Amino acid sequence: MTAITPDTPLPLPSELRTRLDRAVAQVNGVVLGKANQVNHAFVSLIAGGHLLIEDLPGVGKTTLAHALAATLDLSFQRVQFTSDLLPSDIIGVSIFERDGQRFEFHPGPLFAQLVLADEINRATPKTQSALLEAMAEQQVTVDGRTHTLPAPFFVVATQNPLDLAGTYPLPDSQLDRFMLRISLDYPSREAERELLTSTNRQELIATLNPCMNAADIQALRQFVGSVVASPALIDYLQALIAATRSHADVRIGLSPRAGLALLAAARAQALLGGRGYVLPEDVQAVFVPVTAHRLTLGGAGQRDRVAVARELLAGVAVR
Amino acid sequence: MRLDSRQFDLAALTVLCAVLLHATHFPLWLSLAMIGLIAARWLQRRRRPDWGKPPALLRLPLTLALPVVVWLQYGNIFGLDPGSVFAVGMLVLKLGETENVRDARAVATFASFVLMAALLFEQDMLTTLYVGLGVIPLLLLLRALEPDGSDAAQPAARVLLRDSRGVLLNLLAAVPLAALVFLFLPRLTAPLWATQSVPQGKSGLGDSMSPGGMKDLFLDDQPAFRVSFVAPAPPPAAQRYWRAVVLWRYDGLTWARAGGGPLDPTRQELRAQGPEVIYEITQEPGRQRWLFALDLPVADAPGYARDEDFTLAAARPVDKPLRYTLRSAPRYTLTGLDSQQRQRALRLPDGFNPRAVALGREWAQQYGDPQRIVQAALDMIRADFHYTLSAPELGRNAMDDFLFETRAGFCEHFASAFAVLMRAAGVPTRVVIGYQGGYWNETGDYMVVRQSDAHAWNEVWFDDRGWVRVDPTAAVRPDRIELGSGANAAFNRWYGSEWLLALRNRWDIANRLWTQLVVQFDEISQRGLLRGVGIEKADWRDLGIAFALGMGLFAALGLWWAVRRERGDADVVDRAYARLCTRLGRLGFARAPSEGPADYLRRLLQQRPQARESLEPLFARYLQLRYAQSEIADAAARDFARAVRRADLAALHGT
Repeated sequence: MTAITPDTPLPLPSELRTRLDRAVAQVNGVVLGKANQVNHAFVSLIAGGHLLIEDLPGVGKTTLAHALAATLDLSFQRVQFTSDLLPSDIIGVSIFERDGQRFEFHPGPLFAQLVLADEINRATPKTQSALLEAMAEQQVTVDGRTHTLPAPFFVVATQNPLDLAGTYPLPDSQLDRFMLRISLDYPSREAERELLTSTNRQELIATLNPCMNAADIQALRQFVGSVVASPALIDYLQALIAATRSHADVRIGLSPRAGLALLAAARAQALLGGRGYVLPEDVQAVFVPVTAHRLTLGGAGQRDRVAVARELLAGVAVR
Repeated sequence: MRLDSRQFDLAALTVLCAVLLHATHFPLWLSLAMIGLIAARWLQRRRRPDWGKPPALLRLPLTLALPVVVWLQYGNIFGLDPGSVFAVGMLVLKLGETENVRDARAVATFASFVLMAALLFEQDMLTTLYVGLGVIPLLLLLRALEPDGSDAAQPAARVLLRDSRGVLLNLLAAVPLAALVFLFLPRLTAPLWATQSVPQGKSGLGDSMSPGGMKDLFLDDQPAFRVSFVAPAPPPAAQRYWRAVVLWRYDGLTWARAGGGPLDPTRQELRAQGPEVIYEITQEPGRQRWLFALDLPVADAPGYARDEDFTLAAARPVDKPLRYTLRSAPRYTLTGLDSQQRQRALRLPDGFNPRAVALGREWAQQYGDPQRIVQAALDMIRADFHYTLSAPELGRNAMDDFLFETRAGFCEHFASAFAVLMRAAGVPTRVVIGYQGGYWNETGDYMVVRQSDAHAWNEVWFDDRGWVRVDPTAAVRPDRIELGSGANAAFNRWYGSEWLLALRNRWDIANRLWTQLVVQFDEISQRGLLRGVGIEKADWRDLGIAFALGMGLFAALGLWWAVRRERGDADVVDRAYARLCTRLGRLGFARAPSEGPADYLRRLLQQRPQARESLEPLFARYLQLRYAQSEIADAAARDFARAVRRADLAALHGT
């Protein structure tokens, strides 16, 4: 691992840097007042993870996904999950071709670089599983034949809060497939006012030009690996992970996979911040979205996972 | 695991050092044989490593030969000298069969014992230093035997340098422990192992005198004893006669201690006239019991006995450095000589030296007065004798040959001949051996008397004065008395150059301090030391407790150091940052425990933008050191710590 001095923060080509900044700015121009969430979306993209947006209908989940799609020059598919959606509807299906006298695989909407899985928890567990397995393995197997998914492969899923009627909650083990889970919340007063007064978001998105292509994203994912995580930083990361395993309200703490995801996300966060090394602040910035949905709470009272995650963060000292 | 060549070389070097340390008291041929064995084994290992260790057919006879050799050399296989040969020989033989790490460890362990054993022979500063030096290859060997010790990828010189540094650090770290053991380990009044055997090769005065017997002494430059004068100033050179033994009995060849009947210490009474000289003597270990004194010691001191002829003797041979204070009266009178003594001081063996006896009798008739007889003898010697260290061989009537044929010799010849002439002339005379002279060390304010200052002179009885010192050698060679042994050509080289002389003086001071502070540090000194810090009565239990406490403290310190070292220099940076945070906290900007450094800086600058100049570079350095690299260089870490100490936080004061 090469040591990086502040003078040369990152061996990131300046054009790539510019394009990344412009892409972030463009998405922020559409999704107003949600800089943090947009940032997390890019962390997920750069770190090679998938993103889960969980919130009430109508706060802009789909808008964020669409803005991302319009900003990134990637093949895009949107799948609206419903209770009657079948796995083959998203993966694809083999159909007997009369001309060729054989079965031909017809790829489903999953075969795209950016997939928007809207309202994922309205589908049955069977369909959810098909999606999540594809996300984990970057490939699908149909009729004994394996089909590789395109690269980069980035899934943005949205889901409604679990207490709404007509939802099939994702099992914990499958939530783990998402690197980050974010929520959007109501917009701030100013942002809402601008929403109300300015152009329709759909129209705005239609006018956007892509800023980054697949190659840029692949390059960024390469650079993430070279971001320095010093022994001191790893110490801090381990202290955080250990804290999740000993917290009174947490029944099952973070898995090693979650730890790896946390480090990868922190690296991506550092890269987005223009730094060649990870700071504790980078870890803190991504800690709640990376870990909250992976914590299995126990104890007497039902607590909010996000609140527990924040408490964990505040309880571990940065030395 | 088989030793690589570097490990074996170190083992061979360790054994070689042990042999060299003991070579001073080994017969030369034995040392050479041992070095030869080491060299042969080393060459074999280097040239034909595939041979492995020598076959049992070779090793077994060598091992069996060792006790035989010791027996032939010393006639005994017990005792200090045979024992050391035995031990060193075994060590050399062990090297012969050393092939793997286990053997090498055995070599190192045993070599440490053998090295230490060298201190049984000599405890002076140089020997101790040599033993310390011998320990270095031994420690290097142990280091090289560690699993990570032999790094084939690195150049040998670099590994050696790295290891040497580590070993020296280890030795340095052991110094406080050694000091602790030295100061507080309860001491036994008697030595743990009673090595009463006389160290060989230690020369010194004997308790008899025969012509030529002192010759070896004249060539021995070792200090015999050192004197510091309490009061008054040291006597002039011509008065520096350090008497050891008075010899009475002459058998025609040898002068010996007493002539019939025990000497009675109360027989003669000494009356001092004029001021006394008080002085302290630190005597080097030797073979004899004699103590040294100026003419004539007046006071008794505990621990030694004074004879009627003012010979002082310790209870047993002075086999370790001895310190004592004496008072002497340079001018004195003695009460009368009784008939038994007079008879003893006149007796000559029958049938020896007829010409000398005849001459003595002639003088007695011619002069009558003892004073004039003495003068006649001195005149004769002054007239046509000369002083030489290479005196010709003498026949049966040794003094006749000397007085009338060869007329050349040194103090022994003159003293012996003078005594024969006087006794023949009826003047009671005895022979005194001791040292004459002494070199005044200006820098150290003491006098050193060397073995080469050995001398023999006479004492003549005058009824009105008692025993009076007469030195016939002074008649022929006055400069021998004025300048001391420096007049002997053999040592002129020493005094030839100023700086060499200065060096020699300093060296002698260092040796004296070593003897006084280290070698002579015993139970009594230990008590004195404890009294110095307020512990009045320390028995061995108190000492043991002090010792255990000290050891515990030392172990705790070592542990702390090891743990600290384990954490490395990240810790230096860490502590410096913690210090910075504390300082900022005192100014009202405490850092929340979970606050990262960048956030902290941002908050500080929001509240005190004017502190940007002082804080930003510090924090940038911290981030750089702690988070931007996987390893922290020592220098950079210390640099940062210094910057934090010097940081000017004035901009954070006030509002």
